[in-house]
Amino acid sequence: MFTVIRSKEAVLQALASTVNRDPTASDYRFQDDPYLTPKTSSEFKLFSLSQESGRNAAKYFISTYPKYFQKDYAQPHIPCLMPETLEAQIEEVSEAALIERIQMRKVKAAVDLYDQLQQAGTPVSLDVTNQLLDLICFYGDCDPAQENEDVQDEPQTKKGRASPCLVFSFRENNNAERIFALLSEPNTHSYSALIRGMVKYGAYSKAFSTYTDLLNNQLKADVSTFNALITAAPEVKEKYNEKWELIVDLLKQMAEQKVKPNLLTLNAVLKALRRCGTVGKSQAFPVISEMRALSIDPSLASYNHLLSIFYKPGAPFQGQTDILQEVMNEVSGKSFTPQDPDDAQFFITAVRICLDTKDIEQAYRVHELLGVGENWRLLGNDFQQNIYHARFFSLLCMMENIDVVLKWYRDLVPSVYYPSSNVMRDLLQVLDTDNRLDLIPQIWKDLKQLGHGNRQTLVEELLTLMAREKQNQEVQETFAECALDIKKMYDTGDRGKVMMSWTAGSLSDLVSVLLAAQRRQDAWEILKLFKTHNRVPSEELLDKFLTCIKESGDVNQALELVQISAGFCLPGTPKLIQRVQQEFLLSEQQNLSFQTHISHNKNSLLFTFSVSDTEKPVHAL
Amino acid sequence: MYRRLLININQVRNRLIHTHNTRLTLPSTKCKERESFAPVTWAPCTARPLGTSSISFSENKESSTSLSEDKGKTPEETEVNAEVNTDGQRNTEMNEGTEISNATLTSQLETEPVVKPEDRKQVETTKSGKESLLELLGAMKVEVTTVRKIRPSKTPRMSERPDQEPMESTHSMFQRAAAEGSQQHGTLNPALVAAVSAAASTLPNRHQAESELLKQLRKHEAIPDTQRRADIGHIISDMKVGKRPNGRSNVRPTSQIRFDDDGKGYTQDRGITSELDGVRRRKSPFTSKRLNLFAAAAEQDALSDLGPTLWDIDLVNQIVQATNQMPRNGFEEMIQWTKEGRLWQYPINNEAGLEEEASVPFHEHVFLEKHLDESFPQQGPVRHFMELVITGLAKNHHLTVQQKKEHIDWFRDYFRQKEDVLKEAEAYLN
Repeated sequence: MFTVIRSKEAVLQALASTVNRDPTASDYRFQDDPYLTPKTSSEFKLFSLSQESGRNAAKYFISTYPKYFQKDYAQPHIPCLMPETLEAQIEEVSEAALIERIQMRKVKAAVDLYDQLQQAGTPVSLDVTNQLLDLICFYGDCDPAQENEDVQDEPQTKKGRASPCLVFSFRENNNAERIFALLSEPNTHSYSALIRGMVKYGAYSKAFSTYTDLLNNQLKADVSTFNALITAAPEVKEKYNEKWELIVDLLKQMAEQKVKPNLLTLNAVLKALRRCGTVGKSQAFPVISEMRALSIDPSLASYNHLLSIFYKPGAPFQGQTDILQEVMNEVSGKSFTPQDPDDAQFFITAVRICLDTKDIEQAYRVHELLGVGENWRLLGNDFQQNIYHARFFSLLCMMENIDVVLKWYRDLVPSVYYPSSNVMRDLLQVLDTDNRLDLIPQIWKDLKQLGHGNRQTLVEELLTLMAREKQNQEVQETFAECALDIKKMYDTGDRGKVMMSWTAGSLSDLVSVLLAAQRRQDAWEILKLFKTHNRVPSEELLDKFLTCIKESGDVNQALELVQISAGFCLPGTPKLIQRVQQEFLLSEQQNLSFQTHISHNKNSLLFTFSVSDTEKPVHAL
Repeated sequence: MYRRLLININQVRNRLIHTHNTRLTLPSTKCKERESFAPVTWAPCTARPLGTSSISFSENKESSTSLSEDKGKTPEETEVNAEVNTDGQRNTEMNEGTEISNATLTSQLETEPVVKPEDRKQVETTKSGKESLLELLGAMKVEVTTVRKIRPSKTPRMSERPDQEPMESTHSMFQRAAAEGSQQHGTLNPALVAAVSAAASTLPNRHQAESELLKQLRKHEAIPDTQRRADIGHIISDMKVGKRPNGRSNVRPTSQIRFDDDGKGYTQDRGITSELDGVRRRKSPFTSKRLNLFAAAAEQDALSDLGPTLWDIDLVNQIVQATNQMPRNGFEEMIQWTKEGRLWQYPINNEAGLEEEASVPFHEHVFLEKHLDESFPQQGPVRHFMELVITGLAKNHHLTVQQKKEHIDWFRDYFRQKEDVLKEAEAYLN
């Protein structure tokens, strides 16, 4: 009989594999409510965290008030929906009660109970004591953070809470060492717990002396002890050579004690080699070969360490590009399962190196690897995903032409990636280089949606690009629309957010764009803004404006323009006056008013005259 | 002395830069006498074109030097070198293209039994240093051959330099050292000779005085030579250090290729092959040699008998934290729910939901007669009724075996309770 053993998720996995990513849809977790579809990175963060915190709040209430959640609707029974028991059930002083407290990870309660048992003279078995040691060493002799707080899963808060324990580090004569000293015959497990705890909480040299104790007691260490010691090796030695010699020594002892290394050993060695300078470069590959010979295949974390050994951030990297290539040759097309917490660093490191070396070929290979199997899980959390995509997209902007960049842009933004304003500026530069400025209005829409509509530098750059060259009529029309839209952003200013302030440059760019699109009236409105915001227009701008007015022959506006110019005391005012007098047909009335206007501003004009050499029309005055 | 001779070889190679060598006052006719021997010993060589003859010469030399255990042959070899030197003196007027004569001349000298007295004297004085000489020659081997190999490829003098530059290694170093040595010779000796003849002309017996003076001068020169030996020894030992570790193995195959063609594509040849070599060598750093710390088939580490420890749980937790566990679509979410036990699992075969009965074989369900044996009547209407009941139960797939048993037990109890009634009706026959 032939039976295929399938997991119970086999059908679902087969179904899931038929679903491709939809580049137009947002992340799956936001699809329940279209109102909560995030449009910016901050919204993304907010929504995903609020979803998670809602779950945690529910869990907290169920666990805090279990008596209200006793009704079991599910048939058959679903354990994970029922409240967890957080209170110890066994009250008496016994080994069973100790085991219960250990399982509930109540460090202090367990230690107290152990002491009571000792005082009562009740023997506690070695296994249970070892578990207790594990517990104490793991939490560094203080209760786990979530004890009296809400139940939470977020790594950041966990880290924040764990830090007080790290500050205390591995104190002298803490409970772990005290209980350890009470053991008549500590075994490998006891030593392992102690050494791992010491390494975890930074008591590195103590860990090594405990290891010496272990050897003196004619015991063998286990693989996790060695892993911890290898991790600690770079901390106890100063020189690169000494560090490496210590690691080799540990590995030799492993071989002597017939301890089979595992993947974590390999990764620990490679991670230690990252801190061994040039020794790392020479020894990294032999280490991998050694582990290969023991049929331990490197995981992505191993490759990540390897890349970090050869490419130090900020260091020159000539002649090492081929290492990335070699690594990619090794990993391409393989599907990796998470085996080490550092696995999730690989993609970020790889794409960073691609960006540093400007190696677009390898970047594509890295991205391709991401699509293989379950590798997408190894990209890490949202933050890491964002870093990865930012680096990848920056590289694309740097190396590829606009069509390719836009293809990726449409694919990644905004379904998986919310670009930062810096990356958007890169994109604008690509548009500029490849002379596709006609796409600017489109990009502006995205910018607005991505929440970058109020980034002053970005918006100013956008305006400059639009104003710089004269495009065809159609494009100019869209530019004008876009420019007016940008003006609206200046006017409204989101509640609470920093408002953008007009500069002379951005205002004149705006006027130029509008003039180029024959929007004289809109431009005139903008021109007035110069005064309200205390900015001074350039002479060229007014000159340009006058040319535009002349086309329509609006004499009054021309006069007003001259008046504005005079109001700013521009040195070019006399020239403008000359132009108006020459190019426009002034009626008697207008001429009169013109002159009164000017005489009105005589003071300023006098200043102007003194600056510029007196010219003909001025003489006429 | 041998070192000095080696230098002299290079002096010749240096396009016979120095023309005036005091020791080269030896009559060249001595060589000419044995010219008749040349075709005999070097017949195949002379028949060849110019380029190849000099190559074979160098090959020969290489092979003989490599046979360094053959001590008797090495002095001969040095004689050859010496002769190259003397030949160089003759060639001062000749152009560099006279390699054929070079070859033939050296071949004569190889057979020449008589060595010039001065040279012999020097051989004797340094006989004790023969061991070191052999070492030196062994180290020089590669150098000498490369020098000779380059020769056919260059015809104009100026083109030699760029040709040799890619070699770069010890060769150019040697050349430089040799050039320095030759410079010393060239500048010092003509002046001395001139001074000697000027001094001698003032004396009555002019010729005798000159020869005496020159003899004295030669004696003096022997001293700086011994002194210089140390320096050059340093240089040569430096060369050994500077040599690429795989230089020897590299030179062989490429040089053989070069013998076949006309020597034109020398540099390109080398470039491509060395590049290919490089590619082959760094094919993949992942296949580099291992540390050899562990035995290949180490025993399997015994897993802890207590199940996962806190550390193991934490490791898994860390991995879960580090990786992206967010579902990308509805199916993945359902997978997650299935794993948590919240969702009834999708059937993967026709035994879905069979956890309770998984270990119960089918005949327990179907053949239920054995449950009737003990306490039911063997015949009669009750028996008949119960047979119908078990037939029905056998076909019922909704009940577990336990439930079927309970069903039968219920009837057993029932009929037992009604035993009186049944007996009265004569239906309970036992």
